[in-house]
Parts: sequence; structure tokens; C-alpha cells
Amino acid sequence: MSEPFIEDKQRLVRRSVRAFCEKELRPIAADIDKEARFPWEVVEKMAPLGYFGMQAPRELGGAGLDTVSYAVAIEEISRVSGSMGLCLSVHNSVAVYPICAFGTPEQQKRWVPPLAGGRKIGAFCLTEPNAGSDASGITSTAIPDGDHFLVNANKVLVTNGGVADICLIFARTDPAAGNRGISVVVAERGTPGFVVGDLEDLCGMRANPVSSIRLYDCRIPGENLLHKPGMGLHVGLAALDTGRIGIGAQALGIARAALEESVRYANQRHQFGAPLARHQAVQMMIADMAVQVDAARLMVYRAAWLKDRGLPFTKEAAQAKLFAAEAAGKVTDMAVQIHGGYGYSKAYAVERYYRDARVTRIYEGTSEIHRMVIARETLQGK
Amino acid sequence: MPLHIIVCIKSVVREASGGAALRTPENSELNPFDRPALEAALRVREELGGSVTALSMGPRTAAEALGEALAMGVDQAILISDRALAGSDTLVTAAVLARGIEKLAPFDLVFFGTRTADSDTGQVGPQTALLLGLPFLSKVKEMSRGEDGWKVMRTMDDWEEDWEVQGPWAATIHGAAFEARPVGLAAISRVYDGSAVQEWSLRELGISPDAVGLSGSPTRVASMEKIKRARTCLMLEGEPREQVKSLLQRLDDAGVIG
Repeated sequence: MSEPFIEDKQRLVRRSVRAFCEKELRPIAADIDKEARFPWEVVEKMAPLGYFGMQAPRELGGAGLDTVSYAVAIEEISRVSGSMGLCLSVHNSVAVYPICAFGTPEQQKRWVPPLAGGRKIGAFCLTEPNAGSDASGITSTAIPDGDHFLVNANKVLVTNGGVADICLIFARTDPAAGNRGISVVVAERGTPGFVVGDLEDLCGMRANPVSSIRLYDCRIPGENLLHKPGMGLHVGLAALDTGRIGIGAQALGIARAALEESVRYANQRHQFGAPLARHQAVQMMIADMAVQVDAARLMVYRAAWLKDRGLPFTKEAAQAKLFAAEAAGKVTDMAVQIHGGYGYSKAYAVERYYRDARVTRIYEGTSEIHRMVIARETLQGK
Repeated sequence: MPLHIIVCIKSVVREASGGAALRTPENSELNPFDRPALEAALRVREELGGSVTALSMGPRTAAEALGEALAMGVDQAILISDRALAGSDTLVTAAVLARGIEKLAPFDLVFFGTRTADSDTGQVGPQTALLLGLPFLSKVKEMSRGEDGWKVMRTMDDWEEDWEVQGPWAATIHGAAFEARPVGLAAISRVYDGSAVQEWSLRELGISPDAVGLSGSPTRVASMEKIKRARTCLMLEGEPREQVKSLLQRLDDAGVIG
């Protein structure tokens, strides 16, 4: 269907990414979920095509795409594999982007080319055992020590954690200064004291290596401070604003996949002498699913479009992520229902979409947090 | 003299449940059979140097297909577009492309896909070559340049035919001959930075509107009707062994196996 925000360039991105994912990712998407395996062989093929640096500047080895194209790319990848869509959204939006936005030229030259080239994978380490939605509850420290920081950090549920080389660590550089004492230091895997924990055994997104990352008396060079001391939450919120568009696109991709499968099944499966598609109960569900997907799509693209024009987009990005994630939940739930008993079996893809969709309402800001953000913006007259 | 390879491509309609379909940006894409032709040209350029031009005749929506060709790596992309061209048959298309190719001279190779995914005639390649008076080979699988001319391989059933041809020459490229490279995101970004596709009108080619379009075409599609296939179901009786025997016999009688 025709839509605003999408022109020739975005259509070409969609076609190319879809063709690649159908060829390279589709055949293994169910297996990598079942085996909880990160598909390095696909990563190697994605890397030279710019998937790991979609919006990074071309001079630094990125693809230099606009945000709408980025959203389309994440959507198409997620349509085939939610786990890989998650990997790329987090890597691009909350690892590469903050370095490009807040890093010094030297820092950008150091970290962006290997990240954008897919040779190193990025991660965003904020959450701790006692600090999820309440980010200011973090207790990790990065105490200045000469020209280094002495970092003690206990970060959990880190997306890409099991394979990440370059990690943005949120820690207190000034424990006495409350929220103004939180900073971001970039820690690299292999630094003495940098320990990657066991992989989590998750309900969905199973091909993504989610793990803990712990730093024990880890000496991180002073040059690895991103932005200024005390600007940690500022960097984090800016990163998450962007990440919301990526995750919104990811949820959208999962929802679209569930709808497409349901349409196919409803047209094929016969009960009571007719295809399911002729029964009104099923038609009502398909209609609701179509509306949810279409609205999510317009909201995600609109938020991306605003960002590209340098216009404020915080509220719109929060709305897009909130809506798309909840839409993914509703659509995948109805998809399983339409498939009936077979929808509950791993022989069909919809149960994976159902499991993958569930976490979209939780990470990168729970739906509850987003509602608070939207309420605040709305009540302030924005 | 550096090589100049021209690849003629088409933007085709993806879905047309009613026969003829409206060409919209969402419903159009680069003809899948043209990708091996583009890939063949790019590989010749990689091996022997030179430049590749993608040429297409079509409405404005065809610009996206040319954008994809640019993202694959061709050096320039040209769209011949004019309202008067609507409804042109393959002979008119060939005549227009031939004029465009002449305007792009000098050239060494002219490649086409074997057919299009929408019209499926396979005619434009040979017709264009004939109008240009170029030696023509169909369904080419391999090629290499020798001391005096080109060596070209095509297959005929289970046989490989080796041909020799002096340039410039034209060919349709076999659909399975070259696996097209995936399109990278940085390439797409670069393509849409500047003005990607050049546009030529009929006036620039010196072609009269009367010579093209529905009125200028010696052939036209009078009507289209979907083929109705009667579904019959033959039940095979007996034990599995007998059913298998019966099935094999029927397949053999029908010439499907054996």
C-alpha cells in the first residue's frame, strides 16, 4: 500500500534488505531460536553490506542512511528474525549512535570503523540487579584514579552481551553527586577484570546472546569517558530516544510477520466447509491486526521522519515504541489463535513471533515508563 | 580504448491479479532476469576495466530499478521516459532503445535479460540487436576476450556451445549464469545523495511521438484471460505397493518420467 515517509530510496532499502534476509536468515531463523545460537555466519555476510553502521557517517565506514531507511531496514530484518533485529537495533541505536553523537573525533575514529564494519559488536550496559526502570538506582562506580577510571560494575540482561566487544558502561564517577555523578565509560572486552557472565535462558529473542557483564577493579583509560563527567543520564536518554525508533521498527516487523502468516493460513485452512477467511470471527481478528500493524507503521516512520528533520521527536518516539510493542503483543496473540492448535507448535513460526513480541513491551523503556514520558510531554502542552 | 558495456533493464510489475496492472512505485521492481545481465557487465568491468551504463525505457516509476542498478555499481543510469511511449509494443521499445544505445556510442557490449517477469516475451533483446545490426547471442553463460574478438559460451540442452564473435555484440544473459551481488546500504545512500538517474525524452532522441506508443505499435494485446485449470483427482486403489506401481506407470505413460 502507498504511504507517506516512504520514497524510492526507502523502497530500495526495503527490497535489498528483504532479499538478503529471505536468502540468508530465513532458512535458519527457527533453528537459531531453538538452539539459542547467535548466527555468526550471517553476521559475516551482513557486515560488508553496512548493516552494522546503518546511520554512521560514510567517512567512518558506515552507510550514512537516514532514519526512515534505518527503521525500514530493522523492520525487514525483524520480520524474519526478531533476535537479529534486536541485535542490530541495539548495536546501531544505542552503541554506535552515542559514540557518533557524543564522542570526540579521536574516539569516533577509534571505535566507529570497527563497529560500523561489523568487526566488533556494541552493547549498552545500564541495567543492574536493582536498577531497571529506576536508572538512577545504579550502584556501579568508575572512580577517577590518575589518568584511569577504576570501574566496578555489575550489569545484567545486556543485549548482545555474550558477543559484545565495545560496551557503554553507565557508572558513578562521583558517587556523592546523585544523578549528576553518573557518566558513561567505554569498556572493551579483553580488558583485565572485564567478565562476561553466563547467557540468559530467555522465553524469546533466543538467538540474541543476552548476558551479564561485570567489571571487577577494571582499569579503563580516562580517554574512554564518553562526553563529560556527570552527563551519563543525558547520553543514556538521548541514546534511548533513538533506540525507541529502532525497537518500534523491530516490534513492527514481528507484527507484520505474524499478520502475513495469519493471512496465508486463513486462506488455506478449511473448517466447516470453507476457508477460515470466510468466517466472520476470523475476519474480525484479521481486521484488527491489519489496523494495529498499519497504525504502528505510520507512527514509527513518522518518529523517524521527525528525527531526520532535526525536529523534536521524544514524545513521538515514545508513542511509536509503546504502540508498536503493544500492537506486536496483540497481533501475535491473535495470530496464534487463528492458527489454532498448530499455532502452539514449533512447526509453525507464529509461536516464535508470540514469544519474541513479549519483551518489546519491556526493554528500552517499559510501556509504563513510556506512558509517563508521554503524559509528561502532553501535560506540558507538547 | 576502455570498454563500454550497456545493459538494458526494465522495471516490471510485481503483482497483477487482473491481468494488466497499474504501475505504482510499490508494485514495481527491477526485472529479476535483468540482475544476471547487470552482474555479467559488472564482472566484465572488474576484469577488463571500463564503464557500465544501465538504460531503461519506462514511466517515472522505472527510476527505482535504475537506482538499484546504480547501487549495484553501474557508472551511469539513463531513463527514456515520455507520455507518448505508453502502450508501446516490443518492436517500438526495441527501436527506442536502439536509438538510446546509438546516442551512448561508442560501446562494446549490449546485454539484456532473457525475458521480463511481467510481459515474458523475450523479444526486446533480439529485436534491438537486429535494429542496430549487431551480432547477437542468446542465453549467454560465459564470455572472455581474446586476442582478436570474444569467446562466448552458451548451452543447448546438455551441450556447451563455444562461439567466437567480434565486437561490438549483443546478448541476452542466461538467468542462472551469474548470481547478482547483494546491494549494500552505503551504496544506496550514495545513489540518493546526488541526482541519480538521467532522463531523456523522445525529443532528445529525435523520435516522433507518432512512431511510438499504442498508435505506433504494429502489434497490441487485444485481451487477456486467465487460464482456467480443471482440477481432477485420480484415486489410486489397492495396497501401497500396487498404488506405487500404478503411479509409476501413469507418470511413464504421460512422459513425465522414463
